[in-house]
Amino acid sequence: MIYTLIHIAVMVILAPLFLSLIKAIKMWLLFKKPLPLLQGYNDLAKLLRKEVIISQEASQITRIAPYLVLAPLLTALLFMPPVTKGEWYIGFVDAFTLTGLLALSTFFLMLIGLDSASAFGGIGSSREAFISALVEPGMILVIFALSLIAKNLGIAEAAIHLNTHFPTHHLASYTFAAIAFFILILAENGRIPIDNPETHLELTMVHEAMVLDLSGWYLALVEAASAIKYMIFATLFVSFFSPFGIGAPFLIALAIYLAKIAFLSLIIALIEVNTAKLRLFKVPNLLGIAIIFAFLSLISYYMLGA
Amino acid sequence: MFTFDPFALLFLFFLLLGVLPNLFYAYGYLDHIQRKWHFWIHYVAFVLSMGGVVVSYTPLSFLFFWEIMSLSSWQLILTDPKEESTQKAARFYFFMTHFGFVFLLLFFLLVSNGSLTLSFDKLHAIAQNFAYPSLLFFLLILGFLSKAGVVPLHVWLPYAHPAAPSAVSALMSGVMLKIALYGFMRMLLEVLYPWPLEWGILILVLGALSSLIGVLYALAEHDIKALLANHSIENIGIILLGIGMGMIFLALKLPMLATFAFLAALYHIFNHMSFKSLLFLSAGSVLHQTHTKNIERYGGLIKSMPLTAWSFLLAALSISALPPTNGFLSEWMIFQSLLGSSSIANMALKISLPFAVFALALTGGLAIACFVKAFGITFLGLHRSANAKHATEVNAFMRTGMLLMGAVVVGLMLFAPWFLRRFDAALASFGLPSISQKILFSWSIHSLTHNGGVVSPLFLLAMLIFFSAGLVLLAKRLRIRKRIFHTWACGYRTTPRTQYSATGFAGPIRRFFEWLYRPDVHFHKKTLAGHTTKFSTALYDVHIRPLFERSLYDGTKKLLNRLSYFIYRFAHFEQNRYAAIIFNLTLSVLFGYRIVAHQFSWATFALEAIILAFTIKILVIGEKR
Repeated sequence: MIYTLIHIAVMVILAPLFLSLIKAIKMWLLFKKPLPLLQGYNDLAKLLRKEVIISQEASQITRIAPYLVLAPLLTALLFMPPVTKGEWYIGFVDAFTLTGLLALSTFFLMLIGLDSASAFGGIGSSREAFISALVEPGMILVIFALSLIAKNLGIAEAAIHLNTHFPTHHLASYTFAAIAFFILILAENGRIPIDNPETHLELTMVHEAMVLDLSGWYLALVEAASAIKYMIFATLFVSFFSPFGIGAPFLIALAIYLAKIAFLSLIIALIEVNTAKLRLFKVPNLLGIAIIFAFLSLISYYMLGA
Repeated sequence: MFTFDPFALLFLFFLLLGVLPNLFYAYGYLDHIQRKWHFWIHYVAFVLSMGGVVVSYTPLSFLFFWEIMSLSSWQLILTDPKEESTQKAARFYFFMTHFGFVFLLLFFLLVSNGSLTLSFDKLHAIAQNFAYPSLLFFLLILGFLSKAGVVPLHVWLPYAHPAAPSAVSALMSGVMLKIALYGFMRMLLEVLYPWPLEWGILILVLGALSSLIGVLYALAEHDIKALLANHSIENIGIILLGIGMGMIFLALKLPMLATFAFLAALYHIFNHMSFKSLLFLSAGSVLHQTHTKNIERYGGLIKSMPLTAWSFLLAALSISALPPTNGFLSEWMIFQSLLGSSSIANMALKISLPFAVFALALTGGLAIACFVKAFGITFLGLHRSANAKHATEVNAFMRTGMLLMGAVVVGLMLFAPWFLRRFDAALASFGLPSISQKILFSWSIHSLTHNGGVVSPLFLLAMLIFFSAGLVLLAKRLRIRKRIFHTWACGYRTTPRTQYSATGFAGPIRRFFEWLYRPDVHFHKKTLAGHTTKFSTALYDVHIRPLFERSLYDGTKKLLNRLSYFIYRFAHFEQNRYAAIIFNLTLSVLFGYRIVAHQFSWATFALEAIILAFTIKILVIGEKR
């Protein structure tokens, strides 16, 4: 129980760190002076000190939605796979519930975009609605494939099962699922081929456009939500697709887990540096690739496994 | 004549849940209606006849109440008959509902050997001895599913439902469609069982198509009630996915999984009734206050109509299948039963079922987009027209109606296990195994498949409330200062016209699915002094005519027109040509008789065909003038 609480606390506290890490690696690769790793915390602290300006066109939704953007993600954190085997975990919640919680968070984020009557918010919401509608099938199909490979749909139990019974017989479908899931991480977290988290240009932004009218505490909530969302996806990815190191004692296992997430962040940073952002109407092609890999994963499981 | 078995009682209860809040609302809506007596008589007849359909146990009483249900709802559409579009919608509805009725009548005549007063339990033996069971099934599909609005028999639905007064739209979309599904399920489980695998696959395919096509057309729709009607098509599709999975599992002798899928379908039937009624009621309140159905003329209504807005939001969350609402729970169950496909031995089926999963997931994603659009454009931002500016909250009766329906939505979520037990008992009366002991543990729902999962609505709700409350308390503790001020809009003033419109919001999706929509785009722009980028007024208007209407219905219409033209020409021939036609007819009868009565050979057949073609060409058609 205590380990679980520590694990959740670590995930919440370190979430901004990894986003800063990605940014720092990118800046370093571009021969810029990298920002300090604590920049994420500085930003949040600055936002907390600031006054909240609420747009005069905004309604109650702007005052409520930021909480409902963050709360589902915090709820989802409870169901993350354990970092070590002895850890107590909530095993019964399945992956559909998790996608539902993520969608709930996105739903309210899109409402924020439409609330303040500015055209930017509308742009962001409209694009986000388009992208997340196409992410959903890929996500569900990957879950389906994973539930077959791991013999369980429960998130935590699937991860433990993958650790104890590494799917050597289903490596093909396992790899396909990993590729599909990786594309979905990029899509869901607004990373570069799909959305550029650093831009404020109306042609390109998606996530930033929706939160343009938020400030202070509300913006802090939404920024924390996007950091935690990345943490959720990274945790899922490393515990499903590199299910090693769970057997170690807690502190070592935690260190391995964090190292794996740092490695994933490095890969994402490398991809971001080496690719350009896709045009919005090219994004479905990439998501289509994810969906096709998810299908391939399922089909190869059935064809080779049964 | 009548039955009160668990299945019928369940649907009577369903009717009660759907109608009771609606009554309050309809009473509050009355000042909008001119022919009050006409409305009430048909309203009561409509409700009672739906009850009659549910409890009747002979084909005669079933058809009788079914017809009264159709006729009274047809009259309810005509409550306010002044508009041309309403009359057209009513005519279309009248035609479609009787189109279905013909097949229903044929079905019942066939399975009862012509004696319509036999009770339903005697029909099974007759249906078993019938030589072409698939014919019966197709009659059933055409009869019931044309009423339920399944693709491709759905085209009447987005016209008929919006034309009625909102309380009636809620009843038609929320309740009447489910009565059709009730009939379908009862006939299936009581008369036509056991069925081959293909029937289940057909229903599954129809369900997947309906769900996708419904939600795609809903996204492109700007009439709020037509949007909701299109979502009914989508949800009927989702229910059919559940029923289809149940049929497949039962055909494959996996009765437990079949019960689970049927449970999911029944639960979604109840859920869809609750949230779709609530959506229609709150959309009706908006319509009542703004006097327009066009979503582009709303905006900012959450400030003047808070209760309506929040009930719309609750229903929108539920229909978008977001946790922990009831819509999420039933869609979760349908996903679980689709996941159960991994225990099927048939490889081809196993590989193709993920496409249904794909369809359902895409539907879910698009439904979220659609309801962000519907809620955001209607209730958020600034008002887009004077109508929206002067809107106020509706009267107390209508508010009560919405609150009660909201309570039904919340109740279906909170007491999900109780409802599932009732559904289980109702299905058990058809000989399906009871599974409530296996899936319900202490307020959480378990899946039956080996790779399945668990969902616990109360836990999710508690956690969401816990975290939100924690964050709110944190905000209190941090003493967050708030100021209401205008925010930066690139130096321009924020006006209603700077906001995103519904057309713009659905833009990316419309562009991606352009091959399906094939929109008519009207773009009028008055440019200033020859500049291409500077203009004084611009109007961008997109109109979408549904594919099915264009191809299937208009195509049929064209074909009939052409045929009738030929018949018309036949009727205006000279006498000698009539004689030629008679000669040809005699010739073809003789040839035909020879083919049927004597042995058949391709050579003589070809010879006769050539002779016939020549005589027809020379004698009947003649030379072109």
